Amino acid sequence: MDLLTMIAKMSEGLGRTCAIFFLTLLFSLPLGMIVALLRMSKSKVVSGVVRFIISVLRGTPLMLQLLAVTYGPYYLFGISISRNKLIPVVIAFAINYAAYFAEIYRGGIESIPVGQYEAAQVLGFTKAQTFLRIVLPQVVKRILPSVTNEIITLVKDTSIAFTVSYQEMFTIGKQIANSQTSFLPFVVAGVFYFAFNAIVDFVMGKAEKAMDYYK
Amino acid sequence: MKKLIALLLALTLVFALAACGETATTETTETTETTETAEARTFVMGIDAEYPPFSYIDDNGEYTGFDVEVCKAACEKLGWDFQVFGVNWDEKLIQLDAGECDCVWSGMTILDSMKESGYVISEPYYDNTQVILVKEDSDIASSADLAGKAVAVQLGTSGEALLQGDLADLAATFGETVTCDSFLKCFTELGGGAVDAVFVDMPVAVAYAAQNEGFKIIDEQLGAEQYGIAFRADDAETCAAIEGAVAELVADGTYAAIAEKYPDIVNNLLFLQ
Amino acid sequence: MNVLRIQNAEKHFGDLQVLRDISLTVDHGEVVSIIGPSGSGKSTLLRCATFLETLDGGEIDYMGEAAVRTEDGKVVYAKDLNAFRRQFGLVFQNFNLFPHYTVLKNLMDAPVTVLKRPKAEVRGECMELLRKMGLEDKADAYPCQLSGGQQQRVSIVRALAMKPQILFFDEPTSALDPELTGEVLKVIKQLAEEKMTMVIVTHEMAFARAVSDRVIFMDGGVIVEQGKPEDVFGDTQQERTRQFLRNYQQ
Repeated sequence: MDLLTMIAKMSEGLGRTCAIFFLTLLFSLPLGMIVALLRMSKSKVVSGVVRFIISVLRGTPLMLQLLAVTYGPYYLFGISISRNKLIPVVIAFAINYAAYFAEIYRGGIESIPVGQYEAAQVLGFTKAQTFLRIVLPQVVKRILPSVTNEIITLVKDTSIAFTVSYQEMFTIGKQIANSQTSFLPFVVAGVFYFAFNAIVDFVMGKAEKAMDYYK
Repeated sequence: MKKLIALLLALTLVFALAACGETATTETTETTETTETAEARTFVMGIDAEYPPFSYIDDNGEYTGFDVEVCKAACEKLGWDFQVFGVNWDEKLIQLDAGECDCVWSGMTILDSMKESGYVISEPYYDNTQVILVKEDSDIASSADLAGKAVAVQLGTSGEALLQGDLADLAATFGETVTCDSFLKCFTELGGGAVDAVFVDMPVAVAYAAQNEGFKIIDEQLGAEQYGIAFRADDAETCAAIEGAVAELVADGTYAAIAEKYPDIVNNLLFLQ
Repeated sequence: MNVLRIQNAEKHFGDLQVLRDISLTVDHGEVVSIIGPSGSGKSTLLRCATFLETLDGGEIDYMGEAAVRTEDGKVVYAKDLNAFRRQFGLVFQNFNLFPHYTVLKNLMDAPVTVLKRPKAEVRGECMELLRKMGLEDKADAYPCQLSGGQQQRVSIVRALAMKPQILFFDEPTSALDPELTGEVLKVIKQLAEEKMTMVIVTHEMAFARAVSDRVIFMDGGVIVEQGKPEDVFGDTQQERTRQFLRNYQQ
């Protein structure tokens, strides 16, 4: 198999890699905010439970969580395993990444000076208005570098989908490597991930720059 | 004076001889030491720890299986220390080259590509056949019925190689080929209804269907394969030593005794036929 | 009519009592300065009056309407506190401008979002206020591009843009470099001349004397002495007030 055929075959899986990537972000970014707000809940029970869930999600390998989401329902309740593996993959990824994003959001929200809340309160803003108009935009700017880090990790983590036989780019690469007894597909995969992350870097760099107008 | 010279010469000769003698003794000692080092060598067996009955982890957490027991016995014959290394199956040859293990010996199908790449491959010891495992209530009766169905196969196994090579035409009729990284996952996917069939080595299928209810093997054998042991390209010597030791085990009945413990595969072992 | 009436205000932080039975009324157009050592409770009084802290006892009225009442020992706040918040503005020691908004957006956001007033009208008023402060060229700047004095003047305009009945200042010059306090005090003085009702917590004694109709000296959570500035500063009645003022003159 020549290099071009190899790249062409692996590119077929790239669409699936992108699907994992974008769908995970689509669900985990907002889900993380909900988790962060629950984590900061005034109810000790709610914040305690959420805190425990976050520590489990951050303290166990994503690969295990993916196996649990994909095969757990079958082993526990005999529920059929999904034929479209994108579903369990995105569920597991979104939940896992939401836990990480939640902690980033929480750090960001807690770093906003209390004076901002007080100024908004005295001016008559409601709690929702204060959060959405005053706090959130400042949080976004503060957490952007940490979020970029997570997104870069996510690009590389998409290869974990191979654990449940989702035919994304890296799985195909492994198959080719195996059948051709060649290391080359791994090199190709490396180049793909690097190029993907170069784009992520560029886009997030632009975003950070766009928020540079204030300190 | 002449006598004196003669005496001196004689003395010189004696010393020289003595020196030679000493040198010779030293050399002998060194040789013995070298041999001892060779005898105390550690042999690392590369296995897929999830491939019963050839190699797996038993209830006590120990590596066992037919291949593991044979290798252990062979190492005892050779006086080598025996160690097991669990390879990542789809990267097994890379790990072999890296010296993480000294052989790959784990129900491994001999592929032409391995020989072409220069690996030293032992005489085949097992004749393997691929079969199709389905759920008991499945209406799949032959490979022809797999058209449009989802079929699972383990990455890096002979089944997968067959579907990409000799049986590519058959694979092309599948609705989807799902490549799993372990047999357990292939079977789980089948049990959970995510695939309709698993394309798998016969002994593995027989063992799984015997232990788990609700599965059956389609009575159709595909792509006969043979198992062998892979060594590094420059390691023909080790291969010969192992082959010699295994031949001794066959001759003294140890091999058959081990094989008796694994009834699922005993019929396919070439040395016992 | 009283713009603000505080009656028997009590406030504890744990075991520490910071306000003891404080009563205070502010009339329309009156400028009241509150002075006193740190920890005297003067800032807490301001924060209670603006609902940033909750009272443990007492009453607060704005424009004759009950905002806080104590019934059977329980403090009850009015349901629609935002209606009362429209009556007052608060200028913070640390400005607390919104850093992600331009100056103009800082001014316009609350009138447009909270009061739901038409944008164009609010913009006109805000630009007029900025012109008055000599800040019209800063309308599109961000707070981080302004000096501390400019930021505090913007925050005063932000409070004024809500057209409050009364304006509170919580040590408005304490966070400023000495050379920048003048421009802020000048603005407050100008507001006093326009008969804006104001309560100013400050350490600027000379300013308090010059601008106030009434000066209140607080210490240990109580009002120790109050009166016309010339009386409090010139004819001090209480020993504690004298001691405090002496320390300031040194």
